[in-house]
Amino acid sequence: MSLDIDSHIRHSTRHIGRSVPRREDRGPLTGRGRYVADIKIAGMLEVVFVRSVEAHARIVSIDTSEALAVEGVRAVFTAADLADVKTFPDYIPYIGPVRQRPLGTGTVRYVGTPYAAVVADDRYIAEDAAALVAAGTTYEPLPTVADLDQALAPGAPKLHDHWENNCSFDVAPHKPEVDRAFEQADHTFTETYVSQRQTGLPMETRGVVADITDGTLTVWSSTQSPHMVRSTVALMLGMPEPQVRVVHPTIGGGFGTKTHIYPEDIVVPWIARRLDRPARWIEDRMENLVASVHAREQRHEVEVAYDDDGTIRGVRCASMLDMGSGEIFMPGTAPVFVTNACITGGYDFPNMQARTIGVVTNKTPSGAYRGFGIPEGAFVMERIIDRVARLTGTDRVELRRRMLVRPGQTPYVMHGGGRLDSGSHTESFERGVEMAQPALERARARYAGDPDVRVGVGYSNYVEPTSPSYHLTTGHWGGGDAATVRVDPDGSVRVAAGLSAFGQGAETTAAQLAADALGVSPEEVTVVLGDTERAPYGLGSWGSRGAMMLTGSVLLASERLMDKARAIAAHMLEAAEADIVLTDGAFHVAGSDQPSVSWAEVGTAAWIRYVDLPDGMEPGLETSGYFHPENLQHQLDDTGKINAAASWSNGTHIGVVSVRVSTGEVRIEDYVVVHDCGTVINPALVEGQVHGGVAQGIAGAMYEHFQYDPDTANPRFASFMDYLVPTCAEVPHMEVDHFESPAPEQPLGVKGCGEGGTVGPPAVVAGAVSDALSEWGVDLTECPVTPVAVRAAIRSAEAAGTGADS
Amino acid sequence: MKPAPFDYCRPSTVTEALEALSSAESSRVLAGGQSLVPAMNFRLTDVSLLVDINRIEGLASVDCDPGGVTVGAAATQTQVLDHDGAASVVSGLRAALRHVGHLQIRNRGTVCGSLAHADPAAELPALAVASDAVIAVSGPDGERRIDAADFFIGAFWTALDDGELITEVRFPAEPPGSMTIVDEISRRAGDFAVAGLVATVEAEGGAVRGARLVGFGLGGVPTRLEAAEAAIRDWAPDHPADTLAEAVMADTADAFDDIHATSWYRREAVAALTVRAARRALAAEEAA
Repeated sequence: MSLDIDSHIRHSTRHIGRSVPRREDRGPLTGRGRYVADIKIAGMLEVVFVRSVEAHARIVSIDTSEALAVEGVRAVFTAADLADVKTFPDYIPYIGPVRQRPLGTGTVRYVGTPYAAVVADDRYIAEDAAALVAAGTTYEPLPTVADLDQALAPGAPKLHDHWENNCSFDVAPHKPEVDRAFEQADHTFTETYVSQRQTGLPMETRGVVADITDGTLTVWSSTQSPHMVRSTVALMLGMPEPQVRVVHPTIGGGFGTKTHIYPEDIVVPWIARRLDRPARWIEDRMENLVASVHAREQRHEVEVAYDDDGTIRGVRCASMLDMGSGEIFMPGTAPVFVTNACITGGYDFPNMQARTIGVVTNKTPSGAYRGFGIPEGAFVMERIIDRVARLTGTDRVELRRRMLVRPGQTPYVMHGGGRLDSGSHTESFERGVEMAQPALERARARYAGDPDVRVGVGYSNYVEPTSPSYHLTTGHWGGGDAATVRVDPDGSVRVAAGLSAFGQGAETTAAQLAADALGVSPEEVTVVLGDTERAPYGLGSWGSRGAMMLTGSVLLASERLMDKARAIAAHMLEAAEADIVLTDGAFHVAGSDQPSVSWAEVGTAAWIRYVDLPDGMEPGLETSGYFHPENLQHQLDDTGKINAAASWSNGTHIGVVSVRVSTGEVRIEDYVVVHDCGTVINPALVEGQVHGGVAQGIAGAMYEHFQYDPDTANPRFASFMDYLVPTCAEVPHMEVDHFESPAPEQPLGVKGCGEGGTVGPPAVVAGAVSDALSEWGVDLTECPVTPVAVRAAIRSAEAAGTGADS
Repeated sequence: MKPAPFDYCRPSTVTEALEALSSAESSRVLAGGQSLVPAMNFRLTDVSLLVDINRIEGLASVDCDPGGVTVGAAATQTQVLDHDGAASVVSGLRAALRHVGHLQIRNRGTVCGSLAHADPAAELPALAVASDAVIAVSGPDGERRIDAADFFIGAFWTALDDGELITEVRFPAEPPGSMTIVDEISRRAGDFAVAGLVATVEAEGGAVRGARLVGFGLGGVPTRLEAAEAAIRDWAPDHPADTLAEAVMADTADAFDDIHATSWYRREAVAALTVRAARRALAAEEAA
């Protein structure tokens, strides 16, 4: 798609490409943000969900009488009351259908399953009553499955009675060329790599407020996708979509967890309708840790074929996702497909045969988390490369150089069909190595005198699919988005888009785009997001799609609007339309800036003074753009391959660590990022995305881990004492550099940048610590890299007699 | 995360506080509330009456003299951390408090509250044991003084009886020529320790002459490392670290497992911290 924003505009200042200050921060930073929890409606009732304390059980009975007797309790609802609500749709044909009900009925399958809702005058009363409902619940416990092995064991207890076993899907391609690679290679090895269970953990938990007035249901929801919530609420409650309005006010982060549509999103509106009273539910942090999706728990069983010179000939990988109970809409199945699609990262490595398996267990359903499967795959590939380098005595940097996609090799089609339209895979790595060298030398010098410390370096070269298809994830929605642009009678500009925003800076980005497309300043642009009544249908913000979707839709709508504005201006100036240009907000004939008409005059003509309009022109100055990236595929082709992303960003992460041998303590000394997301709209926003992403990546590399009791599938976490989120003290300084390889097929060459930061750190930290401890032969295969894990690796190396010190 | 219903009072004298504490079955003292209030919000602690001691006259004092430091029940951790006089008499106070939580937590949290809470991974109980602190308690039957060594009975379990209130704790001055090192392994800055050590080390002429070693985060109560105290005597940097580490391993055989660390890790870590403390004390002596 070619959108030329410069053909009829003479800019004295361009705004795209500049670090235009964020416009969305004043509220949150001054305590004036309006979050869902800040919404107060007269007569509003408070909802508390009662959640299963059993990981797998049949609910025999629920005695709500004591709870109902508490003063201030208005109602207690269980699944039986919600018989008129439809089941969450099972849209994806090739995965096991879970037939999820909004409230648990019959069997509960994870600790945290909501099975009753208490409605009371305030949260204190509701929690008192919820404790009584919990005490009045009789369970018949069922045997549990706490992990992949338990779930797949012959005769394992089944979570879903109507399934054959606990396997939701198993997609196993066969590639004869990989078989040949194994036959011809000098050596092979097998290994198992593990990524642990985490969550996106937004600072603001989820929350829903619902109110029905004059037949219209308004839902304020802390969601990433207001329109999808609208469609689903309307579907499940049996209401026409125009009678459902979904608004997201200020949102304190989502990180993927709020792309899903949860039971509470349905039940709270249902309660508001049923009781004809406004109702609200705010997730507390204890709930959040079990009731919002988890992610990242994958196991990868790999076989690697390689030659003496370090050439990796082929890899077979079985990637297994622990889906938790699977009871979540959209299903949490897609990330492991993304893992396999992206597993070869920035490397030219076609001989990958990747099998994709999803398994249910008695744990919180897994779903989306920033990175969406990419970090798990990057971890596997980089660990394989380091292993082969060590086994063959090949330099790790040199081996990567040999493998990377080279300049001129794009468009490059990856093993699964992903099409790297452009990129700086080799250049980014070379630049990163150059930047990391002084850091490595600094660290070595710093610890030269300390016999207890070792220094190491780790590498990751990844690709980030951006603006993906949502069809693979949802089985229903596609991958486009829309914007409406309007110029009002006073000449001011309003942009409304179906995207949502919760920290990324999408409002600032939209204003920059519209400003350059309409020749105004960003301050003159009002941006409306996150309200189904005020913005056109869109899929929301996820999948590193915001920048590209806004670019496509805002520019498309702006171009249409400019055509009309120029026609009006030409008429008012009695000139030919083709001669009209816009300079600093004034339309005039090219070559002479007088006379001119302003945006206000054009807007006034369009909306009010029809006498100034050309004969027969339809009044109004509002246009829409529905953008769908033309190369985006939604379904597999005949060979089982798919390019499910509109464009592909890339990056290199390199980290230098110090490891204290006696205690296993790891410190990231320096962290280098070289990042390429095509044309940059706002450099400060991109750097912010990189910094935040790396922080979350480090969380996964070293800290965050949901652990469950293997015997009972009970969570071994309840708070931030058990789930360790890194703070500013744990996140190191980062040095960030950029390349800009424009996406050749996308408007302005823009790619996405929201997720790449999370991808590198697990591979980098594990690689760097293994490098630091190479004299023991330590080769880490799991995250998080904790002091205990480091000591365990050293001990087992010493016990095996491989260590130099043993 | 809302507490169950409870009553609240804010007495102005110790006598009134004691009366209030005896008036209800599950009464609890509120000082800084940094552990108690979250536990109430999680509904993990059953409290019928909160007795807020923050307005009791004279309870928030920090007094020091050449013989030691006395910290009142309502004195915050920040008050003690910032007290230069206290640091010069009992250097371990500042060394320990630097590891306690974050600034915001220390601004509310109290030294005596930490002792009463008796978290097994907390620094202050270990310091109290290491420094032979004495805890002054008032109760329905009058006042008594309890040696720190007898005060901690188990995890979150002390010698305090129902209705009793810590009024102050006395940390005796450190022996001349000694320094106190508080070192720990924690997963993040400000966390409770995975494993830690309070070491009051006397060094002279390039060797350790004696040391009091107390580990924490190992079992229910601070763990006196007696074999290590014997092994460290006359230890010098050119001595092998192994014998010292092995003594620590012998002292810590009962260390527990949890999601943050295994038993063997805790033992190894405290052994490493012990060697590190000895080296640090000797280096400081050499520098002085």
